[in-house]
Amino acid sequence: MDSKIIRELQQLLGRESVLSTSEDLMMYEYDGSIEVARPEVVVFPRTTQEVVSIVLLANRHQVPLTGRGAGTGLSGGALARQGGILLVFSRMNKILELDLENQRAVVQPGVVNLDITRAVEHAGLYFAPDPSSQKSCTIGGNVAENAGGPHTLLYGVTSNHVTGLELVLPAGEILRVGGKTIDSPGYDLTGLLVGSEGTLAIVTEVTVKLTRLPEAVKTLLAVYETVDDATETVAEITARAITPAACEFLDGWTLRVVEAWVHAGFPLDSAAVLLIEVDGLREAIEAQAAEILDVCKIHHAREVRVARDAQERELLWKGRKNAFGAVGRVSPSYYVQDGVIPRTKLPMTLRQIDVIGKKYGFEIGNIFHAGDGNLHPIILFDPRDPDQFRRAVAAAGEIMAHCIAVGGSITGEHGVGLEKSELMPLMFTEADLEAMRRVRRAFNPSGLLNPGKIFPFGKGCGEVRMPPASLAASTSL
Amino acid sequence: MSPAAAIPLSRLREFVGSSHFVEDPAQLAAYEIDGRRPAAAVAPGSIDELSEVVLLAASERIALVVCGGCSKLPIGMPPSQYDLALSTARLNRVLAYDPGDLTLGVEAGIPLARLSAALEEKGQMLPLRVNFEDRATIGGVMASNSSSPLRHAFGGPRDFVLGMEFVTGEGVHTKSGGRVVKSVAGYDIHKLLIGSFGTLGVITRVNFKTFPLPPAQCAFVASFSAAESALALCRAVMHSPLQPWLMEVVDPNAGAIVSADAYRLPAQMWTVVLAACGKPSVVERHAADLPQLAESARADSFAALSDAEKSSLLGRIREFAAHARGASPAAVLFRISALPAEMADCLARTREIADRHQLPFAALVRASGLIFAALLPAEKDGDALRRLAAAANEIFLAVDKLGARAMIEWCPAELKQAVNVWGSPRPDLAVMRKLKSEFDPNGILSPGRFYGGI
Repeated sequence: MDSKIIRELQQLLGRESVLSTSEDLMMYEYDGSIEVARPEVVVFPRTTQEVVSIVLLANRHQVPLTGRGAGTGLSGGALARQGGILLVFSRMNKILELDLENQRAVVQPGVVNLDITRAVEHAGLYFAPDPSSQKSCTIGGNVAENAGGPHTLLYGVTSNHVTGLELVLPAGEILRVGGKTIDSPGYDLTGLLVGSEGTLAIVTEVTVKLTRLPEAVKTLLAVYETVDDATETVAEITARAITPAACEFLDGWTLRVVEAWVHAGFPLDSAAVLLIEVDGLREAIEAQAAEILDVCKIHHAREVRVARDAQERELLWKGRKNAFGAVGRVSPSYYVQDGVIPRTKLPMTLRQIDVIGKKYGFEIGNIFHAGDGNLHPIILFDPRDPDQFRRAVAAAGEIMAHCIAVGGSITGEHGVGLEKSELMPLMFTEADLEAMRRVRRAFNPSGLLNPGKIFPFGKGCGEVRMPPASLAASTSL
Repeated sequence: MSPAAAIPLSRLREFVGSSHFVEDPAQLAAYEIDGRRPAAAVAPGSIDELSEVVLLAASERIALVVCGGCSKLPIGMPPSQYDLALSTARLNRVLAYDPGDLTLGVEAGIPLARLSAALEEKGQMLPLRVNFEDRATIGGVMASNSSSPLRHAFGGPRDFVLGMEFVTGEGVHTKSGGRVVKSVAGYDIHKLLIGSFGTLGVITRVNFKTFPLPPAQCAFVASFSAAESALALCRAVMHSPLQPWLMEVVDPNAGAIVSADAYRLPAQMWTVVLAACGKPSVVERHAADLPQLAESARADSFAALSDAEKSSLLGRIREFAAHARGASPAAVLFRISALPAEMADCLARTREIADRHQLPFAALVRASGLIFAALLPAEKDGDALRRLAAAANEIFLAVDKLGARAMIEWCPAELKQAVNVWGSPRPDLAVMRKLKSEFDPNGILSPGRFYGGI
């Protein structure tokens, strides 16, 4: 990058807000995915006005611009695929307004997800979307990727909880869309922007809904001798239209890896467990829990444990939410998928993943949001071995193809990013993608904003990806 | 743009077949918008036919308005040009229903009533208790973002629509979203289509999450002598653990409008109508807690309704717009998005403006954030229209000042010469115009009908 641009950025923001040496830039070439891309300069704006001046500068020099929160994303959304400026929001991390009466909070994009809840729980409220990285991921990243989490089963994903945004458009203009109210006249731009992966505008302020904390919570751990029994349980819970707050699946391999590290109390000799949580009115959760217990028994659960207190419940969740960290301890690297299938197809899909794993010679762990049909198969591989890397990518592609074949999706909550852009044609026709390109053109005609994301590059065939030089495996989700 | 006479009617007729082509002026009355009739109406029988019609319209600059049950055509400004009505009536199938997965995919022209009956057979439902129960189609409900009282518990269509297919203004069949309950692949263009009044594309398929019908339900009514007390109950319920499926506030005049022989609300009172649904134990809990909350809010009376009373009252509330319009020859119905804490001010200000212009006023409030405010003059003469126009413009300003957003859903066609039913546009209009020109570059989809003249 032209050193003139870096000097200009330093003048705009101060030297302490600009990183450009290669050892500094290296820290920003990763996110939680297996992708790598190094920015040419990293900047840390403090205000919307500074974001505007960065955007104007990027325009003047025709340099790509990519936003980034905590870098916990799992699809490469926050990587500067084509270099340029990486705009990191760690200094725009203030909660601007808590409107408890109307159950809204107005926050800057760098606010950590869990910090919203911490700021309002004294009033009996919380922010419902709970990605497993919620202790570190930021609301800006959640908005960009339309992040989910275990409790989205009942409460919905990020887009269900965002009512308004302040944006900086790629031409440098500040625009407010939506607000604290919903259903305003005009097109629902807020709905479009959430999940647009930073390719349409830079979000500088987010208005979120706050949810009332439930009166009662009950957490169950159902233990199974076979994977089929566990997946059949989920299918029947869904078919009976019981919607728990969360319904998570861990297979035997994964729970043993987790147990060795977290000591959550998962039974080491089981083939699978379901971590099911119901919350709401006392009367409602008693009825739901009884019905769930009934379904678990029908499908031969060996045991159904009910967490006795908050401590035991937190321990079980700690096991679930730190699972990926645990996996990182036993394998040089892993590749997490994010496919979605109809819940009726869960049992056959898990069997299919097993077949694919055997075919490519991998141990594939399964830990996922079963209630949503949102799979996260984990393929363990050694990235230093190019053949293993290729096989891991091929196995992942086959799992995705299966998800699409049964009517599902290539991503339930991680986003397309650069990781799955070549898979988009599995789900969308050229006409569908063209419609999406037009949306991008309406906002981001020069394409400088987060280039190389969502849309496939290749003409027909996917690019042959080389294994990255090294890989971070510290992600949680 | 070409005048209506230049429309290649014979080609349109060829596309859809003569039995699905209407050019008889008497029959075209059903498609009239604010006194204007199109030159023809067509009902394509497939996506291909529909795409061909739109493609021809684009190349010949034929302005078309999409219609399903034709119940909401007058909403919005009159189109600047209106040559063709494009009916989705023949695209009315259930394409995919997987009750075990709680997902559903339907064609846009399916009548809501028929779909509800099909879901009911499997013990399921969509939380769309919207108006025009007998005529509304799914496509129309989506395009107009019709409001349902169940929004209190389920949110609006943006919260439970999973994806859509649609035909763009250039006749291209395309889609966004997915068919499973969770998908973040690509842009959620379907969210733009919700409430777009047919200006971006013709919705052809909608994929939904479905929900279980509750095994038990009960409706309650609490009446109050003052608005503040009624709203205080709503706030108390919202801050309690209770989870009613609907919570509506009915002002005294709206009370008279939603009362019928089968059930009359207490006269001259503000009432809060609630419904609790779910397992019997959940409904019982609401029945046990609500009277205390009502009493703390100084309720005059509290009652649980019988099934017959409940279906009468909720049915009238569902069709409030129609009943309000029946109460005046020149009814004007505002739809105002407001936050719970602004509700009282918003109601007081609009009512005060109505009073000042000697316009009878009625309001139905969806406690989670929507006010339906009706101006109901006894006459429809020049004087009434002048007063309506003055009051409407003042209400737009007052509501805006309170941080709420308003639009007029229903009003006499004549009023639209003096009032823009969408209110004044905001800076977000520029981006919306760009989106419009990307999806409908020839400006043939309901031109001029929408927000900011889109």
